[in-house]
Amino acid sequence: MMVSEGAEAKIYSKKIFGKELLVKARESKGYRVPQLDRSIRRWRTKNEAKIMRTLYSAGIPIPRIMALGEFSIFMERLDGRLMKDFDFKANEAEESGRILARMHGLGIVHGDFTPANIISDHGKISVIDFGLSEFSKADEERALDLLLMKRAISPLMYKRFAKGYASEFKDQKAVFRRLAEIETRGRYQTRTLL
Amino acid sequence: MAVIGIESSAHTFGVGIVDNGKVLANEKEMYRIGTTGMIPNEVAEFHVGNAGQVIKRAILKAGLRMGDITGVGYTRGPGMGPCLQVGQLSAKMLAKRMRVKIAPVNHGVGHIEAARIFSGLRDPVALYVSGGNSQILKISEKPFRHYRVLGETFDIGIGNMLDSFAREIKLNPAWGSTVDKVAKGGRYVQLPYNVKGMDFSFTGLATKAATLAKEHSKEDICFSLEETAFSMLCETAERALLLTNSNELCVCGGVAQSVRLREMLGIMAREHGARFGFCANEFNADNGAMIALVAERMLRNGYSVPLARCDIEQRYRVDSAVVFP
Repeated sequence: MMVSEGAEAKIYSKKIFGKELLVKARESKGYRVPQLDRSIRRWRTKNEAKIMRTLYSAGIPIPRIMALGEFSIFMERLDGRLMKDFDFKANEAEESGRILARMHGLGIVHGDFTPANIISDHGKISVIDFGLSEFSKADEERALDLLLMKRAISPLMYKRFAKGYASEFKDQKAVFRRLAEIETRGRYQTRTLL
Repeated sequence: MAVIGIESSAHTFGVGIVDNGKVLANEKEMYRIGTTGMIPNEVAEFHVGNAGQVIKRAILKAGLRMGDITGVGYTRGPGMGPCLQVGQLSAKMLAKRMRVKIAPVNHGVGHIEAARIFSGLRDPVALYVSGGNSQILKISEKPFRHYRVLGETFDIGIGNMLDSFAREIKLNPAWGSTVDKVAKGGRYVQLPYNVKGMDFSFTGLATKAATLAKEHSKEDICFSLEETAFSMLCETAERALLLTNSNELCVCGGVAQSVRLREMLGIMAREHGARFGFCANEFNADNGAMIALVAERMLRNGYSVPLARCDIEQRYRVDSAVVFP
């Protein structure tokens, strides 16, 4: 059963050995030449799995990978609700900030850090969807993770989020400086989150 | 109401006349580049030499007389300063002589609106691809009605990338559809694919392609370069389509003349049950009619600018222009 459809992957829910798993499948695109199509899907699956394993073994709350195919990742299904469907509570915002900071500390940027990719199970926060994640220690990329969140939640909640982030990350000053600089750029003046 | 539009942001001096959305004339003269690309002052001189006769030709073609013109539009930007000035000056002279209102138009809005209106779409995600531009946009009502940039190139426009690559590997003419023609029958060679969310970049791709051109045939490299770059555009447009929950897609700008790009976008749109549209090539290449089309809507909504304040803006961003329905 299809759970959701993104631009480059579909998520299915599947029962395997009596356990409910999610399958993230990167499906073939008819518009691409086959060689390019396969290489993109293969590379992205591998990259996402590598990032998820790094995060999981460092104790970041994310879904655990159960099996890996050439173009698909089988992972555990987390309980809870997506934060985009509910209002953030202050402690949830702060915890999300702390988790992002720990990811950045591991040299990983999320690439799509929005309430659509944060799950809360009675206040216990987890992060999902690493399709746009990269190994990067660049302030620019880190600041973009913050910017997405800033555009998506209320100023008050962002304040708590930023507080959580700052408390957990020693290089935070440079990131916030870069964030302020990005926001002055022309292209971000009218660009808001959808 | 017959509105005349003048376009001169780059190599084309174009004059179009539109009456209630119907194109009566769309005349142009194009500066022919040699091996050097465009030198702004030389192109501007070319425009000065052609302005008078192209305007006359358009009015004649439309079957009108000067007195029938009820409004003037011109490209305010973005574009090359000296070139823009020629169009601005011609438009101001026309408006002054005929005592009619004048509206400055954003070049990008002209391309998008032409594709949107002529393909009968209402509120599409627009992929705008030309020499200097590569953007994905959609109308947003806030804080004013404008084309919001959802994604764009981090470095250069796709057209300029293809052209400078063609010069690099000594194709002649290194211009417009050259790479596209050579690409026919090539085989795929792996090249870097650079997409980040709804943004993308082309320079790394072009550099790698130029390096590999020493070991592979020109056909293979041109084919691979085009396939890779177009796939990047398709993927980001696809992401925009899904994220905005849209069921309409259009492509516009000079590179929208590519049959292969249109085919790929068509396949992608079909996979999502979305309608896909584009306009005739004469409106995808730079032209005056698209400027007239937008100017007519501006004037109809009571938007015009006093002659003394009709300026040009080389870096006039598409998302800072108000778009009238």
